[in-house]
Amino acid sequence: MESDCLSLLPSVCKVLANPKLLLPDDTSLEKLLDWFRESMSQSYGKHIIPHQPSLLQFLLSVTTSQEMDPTVFSFALKLTGLLASKEDSFNLLEEKGMLQYMFEPDNWHKLDLWKNASVRCGWLQGLWNMLQHQQAMDFFCKRDLVKLVLYLQNDKSLFIASLTNQVLAHFLNSTMLSNDFESVAQNSPASTDWASVTTKVMIHMAKSLASEEQAVVLSGLRQLAVVLTQCREPLKEMLWTHVLEPLELLANLHDGSLTQHIMAVLQVSARSPLFIKPECRVEALMEAMLCSRNANTSVQCAALILQLENCPETLERKATNVLLHPLLFVTSCSLQPHGPDYDSLFEEQLTQRISCVPLITQSLSSIADLVCKSPLDDIPVRLITLSVISLLRICLGHHSTTLQKAGTYSHLIGCCKVQRCSLDVLGSLAACKENADTVHEALAVLLLYLQCPDVHATVLKKTHQAILKWFSICSPSTDLWKTVHHDLFPLLKKHVCDGRWEVRDSTLEFIMQLTATLKGNSKYVEALHDCGMVSVLFTSLSDVEGYVRASAVAALGETLTTTDLQLSTSLQEEAVKHLLTILTEDTDSFPRRAVMKVFTSWLKSTLVFTALDHTLSSVLSLGSSDFDWEVKVHTLELADVLMDSLLNCCPYSIHTFQSSDRTGIKQALNELMVLGLFDLLLKCLFECDRPVSEKACALLLKLQTFMRETFSAGHSDLTLEISGCSWSEEMLQRCYKKQQGNESNCMKNGDQVPDLPKKVGLFELLELLDLEDMQYISSLSSDHVINSPQSIMEDILFAAQQSEENVVDCY
Amino acid sequence: LIIFMLKSQCRRYCLSGHPTLPCNVLKFKSTTIMLDCGLDTTSALYFLPLPLVHSSRLSKLPGWASKDGTVNLEKELKECAGRVFVDSQPEFCLPEVELLDLSTVDVILISNYHCMMALPYITEHTGFSGTVYATEPTFQIGRLLMEELVTFMERVPKAQSATCWKNKEIQRMLPGPLKDAVDVWSWKRCYSMQEVNSALSKVQLVGYSQKVELFGAVQVTPLSSGYSLGSSNWIIQSHYEKVSYVSGSSLLTTHPQPMDQSSLKNSDVLILTGLTQIPTANPDGMLGEFCSNLAMTIRAGGNVLVPCYSSGVIYDLLECLYQFMDSANLGTTPFYFISPVANSSLEFSQIFAEWLCQNKQSKVYLPEPPFPHAELIQTNKLKHYPSIHGEFSSEFRQPCVVFTGHPSLRFGDVVHFMELWGKSSLNTIIFTEPDFSYLDALAPYQPLAMKCVYCPIDTRLNFHQVSKLLKEVQPLHVVCPEQYTQPPPAQSHRSDLMLELQPPPMAYRRCSVLGLPFRRRYERIQLQPELAKALVPSEIKPGISVATVSAVLQSKDNKHVLQPVPKPTPVPPSKKRKRLMEEVPELLSPKPLLSGSIPLDAFLASLHKSGITEVKVEETADGHILHLQAEDALIQLEEDATHIVCDNNEPLRTALRDLVLRFLQKL
Repeated sequence: MESDCLSLLPSVCKVLANPKLLLPDDTSLEKLLDWFRESMSQSYGKHIIPHQPSLLQFLLSVTTSQEMDPTVFSFALKLTGLLASKEDSFNLLEEKGMLQYMFEPDNWHKLDLWKNASVRCGWLQGLWNMLQHQQAMDFFCKRDLVKLVLYLQNDKSLFIASLTNQVLAHFLNSTMLSNDFESVAQNSPASTDWASVTTKVMIHMAKSLASEEQAVVLSGLRQLAVVLTQCREPLKEMLWTHVLEPLELLANLHDGSLTQHIMAVLQVSARSPLFIKPECRVEALMEAMLCSRNANTSVQCAALILQLENCPETLERKATNVLLHPLLFVTSCSLQPHGPDYDSLFEEQLTQRISCVPLITQSLSSIADLVCKSPLDDIPVRLITLSVISLLRICLGHHSTTLQKAGTYSHLIGCCKVQRCSLDVLGSLAACKENADTVHEALAVLLLYLQCPDVHATVLKKTHQAILKWFSICSPSTDLWKTVHHDLFPLLKKHVCDGRWEVRDSTLEFIMQLTATLKGNSKYVEALHDCGMVSVLFTSLSDVEGYVRASAVAALGETLTTTDLQLSTSLQEEAVKHLLTILTEDTDSFPRRAVMKVFTSWLKSTLVFTALDHTLSSVLSLGSSDFDWEVKVHTLELADVLMDSLLNCCPYSIHTFQSSDRTGIKQALNELMVLGLFDLLLKCLFECDRPVSEKACALLLKLQTFMRETFSAGHSDLTLEISGCSWSEEMLQRCYKKQQGNESNCMKNGDQVPDLPKKVGLFELLELLDLEDMQYISSLSSDHVINSPQSIMEDILFAAQQSEENVVDCY
Repeated sequence: LIIFMLKSQCRRYCLSGHPTLPCNVLKFKSTTIMLDCGLDTTSALYFLPLPLVHSSRLSKLPGWASKDGTVNLEKELKECAGRVFVDSQPEFCLPEVELLDLSTVDVILISNYHCMMALPYITEHTGFSGTVYATEPTFQIGRLLMEELVTFMERVPKAQSATCWKNKEIQRMLPGPLKDAVDVWSWKRCYSMQEVNSALSKVQLVGYSQKVELFGAVQVTPLSSGYSLGSSNWIIQSHYEKVSYVSGSSLLTTHPQPMDQSSLKNSDVLILTGLTQIPTANPDGMLGEFCSNLAMTIRAGGNVLVPCYSSGVIYDLLECLYQFMDSANLGTTPFYFISPVANSSLEFSQIFAEWLCQNKQSKVYLPEPPFPHAELIQTNKLKHYPSIHGEFSSEFRQPCVVFTGHPSLRFGDVVHFMELWGKSSLNTIIFTEPDFSYLDALAPYQPLAMKCVYCPIDTRLNFHQVSKLLKEVQPLHVVCPEQYTQPPPAQSHRSDLMLELQPPPMAYRRCSVLGLPFRRRYERIQLQPELAKALVPSEIKPGISVATVSAVLQSKDNKHVLQPVPKPTPVPPSKKRKRLMEEVPELLSPKPLLSGSIPLDAFLASLHKSGITEVKVEETADGHILHLQAEDALIQLEEDATHIVCDNNEPLRTALRDLVLRFLQKL
């Protein structure tokens, strides 16, 4: 425990104990508790009370005070629990009667406090904190605190109700903890207490499930799910036998509002050994839910079943049928007859808008998971794909079949939710091998979506994603290029002129991704140029919307990497000219960031960008003087690539350089200096934006390591002109401080800093800077100052000092 | 359509088939009301375009003769792009004028400026002598559209009038689609400006919610319909009946005042016309499509041609482009609006502030012009010219966007641009008006290299909006064109594109007569004060009193008044006169009216008292039957009648009657 903090603790306790003083907000109290918890988990914190009498005093004052702020009281409850989690502190607190006072609300001086939710919450939290050892468990059982906990299960505050579940789960688990603990428990008279409390809890849970009140049933189900998740064998099975009967009744009630909660319980039980024990009847329960009167319940249950491993085949098949039913029904694809009842059940719910859309989207999203994970044995993927395609057509009003399902169609037409979901599924279906021959159908419907003027921008984006996926599996046939040339590109050209910026943006992004995917394909590159797409991209560079310009920059950057640059130097020059204009003049930072990223990617690529090479020094200087820190970081990334390519250095391999190498390296270093790279790094090193200085520091370290390995001290002959540089002053200060520290010189504060020479060797300069230290400091987030326990305590004390006069001035 | 509403029965007839260009007649009480008189100009598509500048292509077209040579109409019909067109001034299809003597029409109610284009045909040649009611913007813009139409026609006079092809025998032998044109004999050439002026002189201006009395019988009120400047729906009501006429309404937020829906509530009959012609196209999507195609063409260096009417959607298009231009880098592209009435249309739109949506109205108080096209004109981005001749030709700069009429592409300045730009694939024609099939419109210009985009923008109600509206206003009966009761023929599976109502709507078609499904039950009658004073009401139920009245009913100008009966003048004793006086019906005080119900138990008791003891009571659906077994008589007691049945025993009947009467109240 830091000594600074410990010295502040007594005064903090005094402030908290005094109800007349202004209190800090409860987040600082929470943070303080966190600190206590952390300290106690370390060895020196075990005996905190004997060393910190102020804590005990604070708790004592709480027990005696007649007027206590609920926030502080809640804090005190949690703290008591926390302290009592160690056996010796527990004994001490019990001796002083504090535990009895705190955890039996009937003893409180002010019974009204219980009405406050934060106090009830503190009570539960304190209890949870305390229940860590046998004595605490005995205390809990003897005092019959479980009664109150169970009562709180139906508290109107959701947080309290959920905390109750956690406390009960923890208690039940603790009764089964370790073997020796068990043996102690068996021999001690307490064991009977524990067993009876455990039984009480289980009976209570079964009763809740059988309640007439829905709210009680719901909270019972929630609790069951939590407890089943957390508790161990054999407790889990014991509990299951208690609740199975009411649970079966609930499952057969087919009440839609309970579905989600029953499903949560089933999900937990299905992933536990309960599932394979026939007497636990988990499978039967699932089947009951699957055959529910409520189609939504059935579909949800089916989705759950199909996520299970080792699921019995019959159940799995049933679930698959249920899951596919909404999709196949709407698209009139019949796989196998389900019987009239089943059809009418779905039909009824599919003809109502309110149930139709969720039913279909649930079905679709589960299908995507299902098909992509493992192919279905008896259902052809092609059939599913064609159904999804039909559904997509229906959503555009393009489907012509009988009028039989007209009621369903009318609310699917133009429904964005279903469109988005279906497009997602269609996209993921592209990954299935069986779909190789459905490419044409899929692309046709996707193009239809691009053509439709009413399609929502988000739907268009999904369409783009799906097209990308299908293109990536296509064998590059002539037909495909025809489609791209005659259908796709004209549509994209139109979308680039759309009034909605989202559409323009996602279209440009799509062009970029498509180009990246099909980069190696000469036919594609040919089509891209023939259709005038490049000039479209150039025009989009002057879009009014910054995001769109950024996407245009990225797309253009990608496109130029596909071109045979020897043939298109003019194109390259034009692009570089445009991008430099953006970097200099654009008022939005997104396009400028994109420009830097494009330049970096060009440098990384194997192609030669002569037009860029000529302008690198101005790119670096523009990037370093940008107002946006992200642009600077991207500039540093560019510098990184540049360094790598010129110095060919790798931080992880150690070379020994020959003297001939050294001349080459000297030349390279000279070149970097001429480009202004060192100036950039040093300037960024002293930036106040942490990511910038961190990155610059990392690069300088890399450079330093490289230089140390390459040259012995002072032999690099590379000198930097430092006078007139923006960073020279800062640099000087640091060097001077370091010197001062080293030499313990007795210069006084007012003394002039000596002039630094105009030129300094790079090697010396790097050595002068304490780069490792700088890196450590910048790696710490600003959080470490603000959230330190010391600062929290100071905040508490500061808040207490405030009187009404100075409260206005603060901050 | 003619709808007769008779006092006891309602019937209907129908004349016009076009659901968006309606012409209906409603007979209601003693008035005959024409609802709109739209002109179907689609017939112009059968004619050759009228070029403004001499076109060698159009002048050299070969004439048409049947293959066997029996029919030769080389002068009247020309072959162009594989189709046959009539070479004369275009003719229009009028509303049916034979079904009803239109001189009997008392008033014409106009709902919007597109629905009044046939007005001169009706008011000038049928003996019509009534009044036309319309709002001011409807009147003014309607005048502009008629003026434009007349100018388009008169600018390129064509002496020749083609009539031979209309001969039934000959028409049968013509190639399609001419062969299938219907009612060709009723097609008429365009009216003259003089006829327009005369027709418009019969218009009386009204404001929204203004109540206009027609002969004291009915009251008509225009309500905002939200479709175009000054567009209205009409309420036609008497004291006890209400008919709503909904024509061309819109719920979208465009420039006009929003639609007044609440006043349509509680209608007995709602006549629904003028729904969107393109139910599958959402106006927003189409507007987006319009803008992106326009931008794409301009960026590629091409010109854009927008054939449109000179008022209406063009205001929204210009507003949309105003916002879109900068984002699409179209700042320097000139927009031209060419129409004989372009200037007036743009200026009129700015002065009808009270007819605009709230947003635009509030601009007027800033003060700012409500439409942004004022700024476009100020900054020289939008220029308008009466025609391609004169100033325009010297200032014309490409690439550009041209808005011009007529959307049928058969007359107006648009014909010139089709000839000029049709050959280049860089140019684009964007159709925004939904009235004409764009493929038919383009037929005489084939082969066409120009790109063609169809973005019909129809802001009128779609089926989804209509069903919501009807749910809201809940009319007892809906009457609509038959096209609305089934899905469009091309999309027979789209059951969402039709009206599904309970009870099903009554459908009509051209030349049908419809009896409206409700009977008029009541008429309002006034009591003169002295008569009212003389009434002696007696309360029969708490809050309800009745009185008998004897009076003379006077009906005049559809108003009914009850007056006191004139007292007979004392007659001088003269034998001659006495005989005369006897013929005047004697004014007797009426017999008292009976009311009330007979309590069974009390009645039985009183029978018992009168010595009738053997009574068997039988319960029936409406009341009771009492068998008086000893007397061999029956008394049927029902809710609204009592019968005493006994054979030839008048004293018994009278006794029983008196017993019954004891329980009833007399008025």
